[in-house]
Amino acid sequence: MPHRVMEAGVQLICRLCSLWRNLVHRDRMETDVDDEVRAAFDMLLDENVARGMTPDEARRAATLQLGRVESLKAQVLDAKTGALWAAFLQDVRYGIRLLIRSPVFTLFAIASLALGIGATGSIFLLLDHIVLRTLPVAEPDRLVLASFRTPGRPFNYSLPYPQFAQIRERSTALESVFAINPFGRVTVAVGAQAQMAEGMCVTGDYYRTLRLLPALGRLLMPGDDRPGQAVAVLSHAFWRRGFAGRADVVGAAVALNGIPFTIVGVEPEAFNGVEVGRPYDIAVPMRALDVLNEGSPLWDQAFATWIYVMARLKPGVSLEQAEAESRELFRQASVAGARGEAERQLGRESTLRLEPGAAGANSDLRDTYGSWLRLLLMVFIAVLLLASLNVATLLLARSGARHREIATRLALGAGRERVVRQFLTESLLLGAIAGTFGFALASWGSRVLLRIAVPASERLPVDLTPDYRLVAFTAAVSLLTCVLFGCMPAIRATSPRALVISPLIGSSGRKRLLDRTLVAVQVALSLTLLVAAGLFLRTLGNIWALDTGYDRHNVLMFSVDARLAGRRGQDVPNTYARLLEALRTIPAAQSVTAAAVRPVSDNYYFVSSVRQVGDTSLPEDRRIRVAFNHVAPGFFRTLGISLIAGRDFDERDSLAAPKVVIVSERMARHFNGNPVGQQIRSGGDVLEVVGIVKDIRYANVKDAPREVLYFPMFQVQPARFFTPTFVIRSLGDSTALKRTVGEAVSHIDPGLTVFRMKTLEAQTEDSLSRERLLGTLTGYFGGFAVLLACIGLYGLMSYSVTQRTPEMGLRMALGAPPSAIRWLVVRNATTTVLAGAAVGLVASSAGAGLIRTQLFGIEPHDPIAFAASTLLLLVMAFVAAYLPACRASRIEPIVALRWE
Amino acid sequence: VLQRPSTVLQGTLDLLILKALSTGELHGLGVSRRIQQITDGTFVVQPGSLFPALHRLEEAGWLKATWQPSENNRRAKYYRLTRAGRRQLGEETAEWNRIALAIARALEA
Repeated sequence: MPHRVMEAGVQLICRLCSLWRNLVHRDRMETDVDDEVRAAFDMLLDENVARGMTPDEARRAATLQLGRVESLKAQVLDAKTGALWAAFLQDVRYGIRLLIRSPVFTLFAIASLALGIGATGSIFLLLDHIVLRTLPVAEPDRLVLASFRTPGRPFNYSLPYPQFAQIRERSTALESVFAINPFGRVTVAVGAQAQMAEGMCVTGDYYRTLRLLPALGRLLMPGDDRPGQAVAVLSHAFWRRGFAGRADVVGAAVALNGIPFTIVGVEPEAFNGVEVGRPYDIAVPMRALDVLNEGSPLWDQAFATWIYVMARLKPGVSLEQAEAESRELFRQASVAGARGEAERQLGRESTLRLEPGAAGANSDLRDTYGSWLRLLLMVFIAVLLLASLNVATLLLARSGARHREIATRLALGAGRERVVRQFLTESLLLGAIAGTFGFALASWGSRVLLRIAVPASERLPVDLTPDYRLVAFTAAVSLLTCVLFGCMPAIRATSPRALVISPLIGSSGRKRLLDRTLVAVQVALSLTLLVAAGLFLRTLGNIWALDTGYDRHNVLMFSVDARLAGRRGQDVPNTYARLLEALRTIPAAQSVTAAAVRPVSDNYYFVSSVRQVGDTSLPEDRRIRVAFNHVAPGFFRTLGISLIAGRDFDERDSLAAPKVVIVSERMARHFNGNPVGQQIRSGGDVLEVVGIVKDIRYANVKDAPREVLYFPMFQVQPARFFTPTFVIRSLGDSTALKRTVGEAVSHIDPGLTVFRMKTLEAQTEDSLSRERLLGTLTGYFGGFAVLLACIGLYGLMSYSVTQRTPEMGLRMALGAPPSAIRWLVVRNATTTVLAGAAVGLVASSAGAGLIRTQLFGIEPHDPIAFAASTLLLLVMAFVAAYLPACRASRIEPIVALRWE
Repeated sequence: VLQRPSTVLQGTLDLLILKALSTGELHGLGVSRRIQQITDGTFVVQPGSLFPALHRLEEAGWLKATWQPSENNRRAKYYRLTRAGRRQLGEETAEWNRIALAIARALEA
């Protein structure tokens, strides 16, 4: 009688609503009571008049009979509230008593639900912060983000400055426009106290466009963005962390990389920059780059892309109007700034795009993890679904066990509504407790996940404070799961069939179809997860086993930047050279070198193109795109990259010497004859090839080997020195070197700070953090899912054995051997498991296509992953079914026959 | 109107209200009069006890209330027994009979 369940469910919900109304909409209820009492009063009045009283007498008499209206009203309202609370509390008390009565079930249900809710919640928290959220600024939906492209290239969010300046000056559709450039590490010194910080430079309209108000002092204004204006604004977090939140910071003098600046204000607390995942510590006007950077800033270079541009639309202007206008302005500036016909052509063909910028600037974190988080959310919702199905299965089994009790109660006239209400209260309680734990788990779990996902950053790149959105999410998810696992047992336990059929011989079978389906669904879901885990783990294994072309064992890397210690000009390379010398004297160091780009790069890498190979000049469309690196002598030896021909760099290759280059094998194939001794032209330089080295996977382990040029590091102009990475190969474990290295560095200059110190193996692992997370998470949760499915199966089989005890006893009494009884139970489970597994395999092969882009070196239908997962599942399912089967085979026939 | 024993045990009041409504729906004053009638005037329920009790029973799910036009064309709130209320009446009647019998025996002894 499902409508009875509905009725009881509705009643429970009505009760909650009524309680809510009573507490919140007291006025509406008061009116109702008021009406009722007044109606009664009027009725008495009418009767009294009918009896012949005068209106005055009638009124007095009615008041006497009814009492004072106001006090009567108050009494009624009190009674109503009291009754509501009493009924609610009674339900809750009863629910708690039920849960305490079976602690194992309760603990298991709460733990599995909390884990499911927590996992889903933590992914939701990440997704919300990284993908869904809009900037905490006024009217974020009026912000737009600019990108552009030239034919045949993807959209680029980095723009050149002249085009930005043109749009800023000429646009009529945009209220204001700003550009930013995160310029990386900067030393912030107050007196003798120095600390490292992340620097950001912004144009004058940055804060005005975002409509931000300072937490302290003032923010940067258009007037600040001109040469000679050395002012800075602190982020709220950095103000707290680096300046202890002192109010006297406004007006304080600081030195940025040794150059004096004045702090003028502090950003508002909620604001973390416009790029999700890249918070900065200190903002300076963009023109300050003139003094902060040694290289000439790119103010007039119309084809150098280095700034991110955002703007705010004027009221009433559409995105399309603004885009059309800006596109034209961008083109004009591109053509005007072009040098030569090729650039002019490129400028004419460039297309600017504006897109909604409510979520801020283009974010690497969002690009990298957005689709991945959605995928994980789906996985975890599947796990949660599974957990709640599992609780449903157990509740069903329990309702089977409580069958007699419930049937008795119903027969004795207990309201079905009441029985159903108990079930629902029980599940609501479970859901509420699990939801609370799940919430705590989510806030903790999201931090751990982000820490693993972004191992390179010292602080979490996103502020993951849980808020009302997470509360709402976990509450909704908990409630939904409650409804899912609470309703089915309720319907089943009170259905009329359940009352009629008492568990006698042979009564199992069709009746358990619902349970069997639930277990089969669990098997299917967990197999899907296992297959995904298998695919991801195989992917990880494949990447790890790749021949990168270099030897990643026993290599320690670290960075220092002499500029951050205030050094300039020729002093910068000299410092590095001295440091290399010092490192070479460390006894455990087998070989020492330095490079601008790390072998597994986490920051940047360089690309360029080659215009001439040997005597052949390449036409513009045939130029070779190459990656390049600046390396110190000993680079190839240190990393175990074999030199095929020619020589390594050495002390001869100085700034004054002729320019030389070493090319990779792949690059060497572009030459006619032996490349060594031939020349190439790249950038503005003509270089002589002095060596050829084996191909390596440059910058990213997953990238195929490509054409690479190696330039001698000390042949680079001092102003163009990038923060180098020092690389040391040691005889034994390289982690032991860390302290020695630190001492060597501070011996050269106490102002130098070592950062990003990592072994090459750790750096490789970090670069694979996404694959690792995906593999381990699906692995763990796949395992968890299989465990859940097996517990469900075990519960189902145990119950079935209990129920069929008389039948089994009869069979054994008639001479069936124990093995036949075991087989009976296992066979019973087999259909369920096989059906689930079949569905799971179909779902996996359909789902595998979706994760194709996340895989490496295997097909989505990798037979090994599929076979291994299926085997694992079947083995575990067999164990889960075999245990009850053994129990069944030990039944004493005589006990069984007396069972009833 | 002469008012005799006006304090009624709460359980008894609930039972009387349920009983009064067992023959059909009534508004508040109607319930009070029906009780007076079926107890031959032994019990006169004060509005101060009656109305809170009606609402308490409504919240317990034993009564359902609807606004309807009354005999003399005013609006009044009518109460009727729900299925659960009818069952409750059965249970409470049985319980009452048991206690009444026990007390009667105790007093005869």
